[in-house]
Amino acid sequence: MHEISLVQGLLVQLGELARANKAGKVIKITMEVGPLSGVVADSFRFGFDILSAEDDLVRGAELVLITPMVTYVCSACGQTVTTDGERPEECARCQELFLIPQGGDDLILRQVEME
Amino acid sequence: MCDSCGCPSPSDHNHDHTHDHGHTHNHSTSTTKTVDVHTSLFAANDALAKTNREHFEEIGAVALNLISSPGSGKTTLLEYTIEALKGEINIAVIEGDIETERDADRIRAKGVPVIQLTTGGACHLDAAMTHRGFHQLQKQPGGDKIDLLFIENVGNLVCPATFDLGEHERVVLVSVPEGPDKPAKYPKAFTSSHTFLITKTDLLPYFDFPVPEASAEALQLNPHLRVIDLCASKGGEGFETWLGYLRELVANMRGRAK
Ligand SMILES: Nc1nc2c(ncn2[C@@H]2O[C@H](COP(=O)(O)OP(=O)(O)O)[C@@H](O)[C@H]2O)c(=O)[nH]1
Ligand SMILES: [Mg+2]
Ligand SMILES: [Zn+2]
Ligand SMILES: [Zn+2]
Repeated sequence: MHEISLVQGLLVQLGELARANKAGKVIKITMEVGPLSGVVADSFRFGFDILSAEDDLVRGAELVLITPMVTYVCSACGQTVTTDGERPEECARCQELFLIPQGGDDLILRQVEME
Repeated sequence: MCDSCGCPSPSDHNHDHTHDHGHTHNHSTSTTKTVDVHTSLFAANDALAKTNREHFEEIGAVALNLISSPGSGKTTLLEYTIEALKGEINIAVIEGDIETERDADRIRAKGVPVIQLTTGGACHLDAAMTHRGFHQLQKQPGGDKIDLLFIENVGNLVCPATFDLGEHERVVLVSVPEGPDKPAKYPKAFTSSHTFLITKTDLLPYFDFPVPEASAEALQLNPHLRVIDLCASKGGEGFETWLGYLRELVANMRGRAK
């Protein structure tokens, strides 16, 4: 449950953003949670609900979590396949087992709406 | 909820949640501002991890981050490793645990510099804690002469995999009694590691743990993994391979420093 410490990091960033933009309230936060980031979206939201309730700036803000797709590239023949994160058993073209994931391993703050 | 980790406890939902869920704010005001950001929430940790790596390299130390479930034999392996490399390689240890100084006491008894970090609930070490620990370590006798720095992470096969501490090599351990399905169940620990240690091989006669299958499964996730199976307490071939790996890392770092 390391998501809580990541939410704490988010609240710090939102504080800085609000100060820079002279905003007093965060309304909507859009984030990208990579399926290979090691972050569980439900846990992140759970942590956000608890911590944002105690934060005047962020209380009541809407949290939108987007899950980006992951592209797996076959290490042998270069064939690609895009999934919601799940690793394919093998390359559909040449049956190679080692497929290299591209993307989907980050946790990104994309957009913040404030007033 | 515990402060830093936040592992949910049932009582959490009894806090008074009197805050406003009603969205009474006015979306139509012209004062609303939308800012595109695109920053990674891992960035702060990763930047500090990079600083840590530079700190380690300044004094010519190779750093290893040990990740496993509680009880896989991390501290035991360190005890035997320190013993085996005594007089040859200067070792220091940063111990991470939720509570207690016990692991640090075990390492201290072996006569090497050690710092215990207690996370007070958090299920992983991060780069900031490691940074603090390293500076404390440097103030100890022998803390200025470190060839090999072990960071024993909090026992947990999930959360530590997400946080770079500034290590040069990440080592994931699974002990024979835990079973061979861990790579499939906890892939990130294996895709992010350099080395996979199968520990407590003295127990192979008593458990169903096909070593070749477990290592094949891990290699499918990460073909660059170095897989070593060993028994720390009895020594033998696997343990010697482990020591050889450590010697090589130290020699490479010494080569770079010149
Ligand atoms: N049979 C056997 N037991 C071991 C071995 N290594 C560690 N243990 C035992 O496993 C338990 C947990 O070890 P410890 O080093 O504290 O694990 P850690 O939590 O990963 O640091 C202890 O009771 C050790 O004595 C080994 O190679 N073989
Ligand atoms: Mg230990
Ligand atoms: Zn956790
Ligand atoms: Zn292929």
